[in-house]
Amino acid sequence: MNGAIAIAKKELRTYFYSPVAYVIIGIFLLVMGIIFAKFVAIYHQANTMQRFGQAQGITLDKLASYLYQNMAFILCFVTPFLTMRLFAEEKRQNTLELLFTAPITGLELVLGKFLAAYALMTMMMGVSFIYVLFMILWGNPEGAIIATTYLGLFLALACYISLGALISAISSSQAIAAVWTFIVLLLLWLLQSIGQGLTTKWGFIEWGPTLVYLSPLGHFSSFIEGLLNLKDFVYFITFTFFTLFLTHRVVESNRWR
Amino acid sequence: MIEVRELTKKYGDRVAVNGISFSVKRGEVLGFLGQNGAGKTTTMKILTCFMSATSGSASVAGFDVFENPMEVKKRIGFLPETPPIYPELLVSEYLSFVADLRGIPSADKAKKIYAAVDRCYLGDVRNRLIGNLSKGYRQRVGIAQALIHDPEVLILDEPTVGLDPKQVSEARSLIKSFSQERTVIYSTHILSEVAATCDRIIIINKGNIVAQEAIGSLGAGGATKTELIIQRPVESLPAALRKIPGVTDVKEFSNGTNRLVVESEQRDDLMAQLSKTVVEQGAGLIRMSPVQLALEEYYLGLIGGRRSEA
Repeated sequence: MNGAIAIAKKELRTYFYSPVAYVIIGIFLLVMGIIFAKFVAIYHQANTMQRFGQAQGITLDKLASYLYQNMAFILCFVTPFLTMRLFAEEKRQNTLELLFTAPITGLELVLGKFLAAYALMTMMMGVSFIYVLFMILWGNPEGAIIATTYLGLFLALACYISLGALISAISSSQAIAAVWTFIVLLLLWLLQSIGQGLTTKWGFIEWGPTLVYLSPLGHFSSFIEGLLNLKDFVYFITFTFFTLFLTHRVVESNRWR
Repeated sequence: MIEVRELTKKYGDRVAVNGISFSVKRGEVLGFLGQNGAGKTTTMKILTCFMSATSGSASVAGFDVFENPMEVKKRIGFLPETPPIYPELLVSEYLSFVADLRGIPSADKAKKIYAAVDRCYLGDVRNRLIGNLSKGYRQRVGIAQALIHDPEVLILDEPTVGLDPKQVSEARSLIKSFSQERTVIYSTHILSEVAATCDRIIIINKGNIVAQEAIGSLGAGGATKTELIIQRPVESLPAALRKIPGVTDVKEFSNGTNRLVVESEQRDDLMAQLSKTVVEQGAGLIRMSPVQLALEEYYLGLIGGRRSEA
């Protein structure tokens, strides 16, 4: 496990030595800030109208779910830029030789990389707690729903990062890794809309529900609604583990070629 | 210390290393000589557990590289062809990362980093970005990285390529300084380097070992040349030199130069005999030096396919 910690420490250091982390975190917070400001404006308007007797039915929790749905989607844009360098850059710099001839296992290498990206993105998401603070100060949000939402966000994030790591391990350059990670994440989101209303059947496979299940969107939505379903946990956890397993295989395959 | 048996590596249909066997004793400096693409790097990558072999076996310090790679890795320091460095880190940060990778306990870390920095003369640059260092310094950072955990075996892949002459000689003396306590395998395609630093060489060509010999006995049995510079030409000198047992030919460069080249068999007492004769003939010996062409001729003969000479 020491190997994983050494790798993670070095990765985190590298993130903060390059402008990439600052720029990406900055952009994420800017976009989230704009959305949050919009959300405050809508909430304020709804409240004013309510005071004049025109009930709008917009609750704080509903708006919060709108905010976090957006956040989960924006993370699809942000993640590729933070995961693209994980393995592609090591290949370019010929530093895989150092890592493979050091007494660490391939698993430690993959875990170290994953944990570094996860820690960085957790820091980034930590800043978004400021929105929760605002909601508590000026409103009365449902604490439990906020908690399940963040749980969902962290689970989805693990998926995104593991996928980014896998694609970085396959790609030969950072740019290619970023583009493909983004495309695949976007496709995974779109599976939800593609699957809805699809009635094609192949044998006993019903494509509609299958595609919907494969998209992270629906699973994440239940967390936002405050629902803790076992199948959603299973989805996110198996997705992450399976992708990390594949990453490990790809990384190890370097020595068999 | 290192045992390699029938090692073969194929990349698809191309055979990079073709059933080579050799062994290296503790404390020995082995030069791995061959053209580009001869299979030097592939062999080194297998020994360092970076790559797997197609067939055959290799062991380091009694541990098999395929069955027990962790134990092997702990005992090896490896400098690949391109130094595996991170340009965005400081030298000290980089070495600290390598120390962590190597599992050096934090109590020893500072001491080990200091020792490696000191050994590779990196004191002046330890707080500089690796990306801003010159090629020579980067190479030294690479060597420091390979040394940091005090490995029993050092494997260096072309450590002097791209260095300027001063750096080359520094790198050589650095490598020589390891030889007392460590086993070193070191690849190059520069001949003079091997002669200057190694105890023994293995010449590899197209994946096959074509020769392995101790440096001292290289080209033994063949002819050697000795150059003599004298004060004044003496008519009878060449004839007198030819009479010495073992001398096969004497070449004169008469026109005003006082230079003679003596071709002879390899004999220990020959130098003494030559000098004695020159002095007796009253020619006045100024300088006398062996002409070292043996290694180069030997090498070119081998890789040129003229194996009969070996």
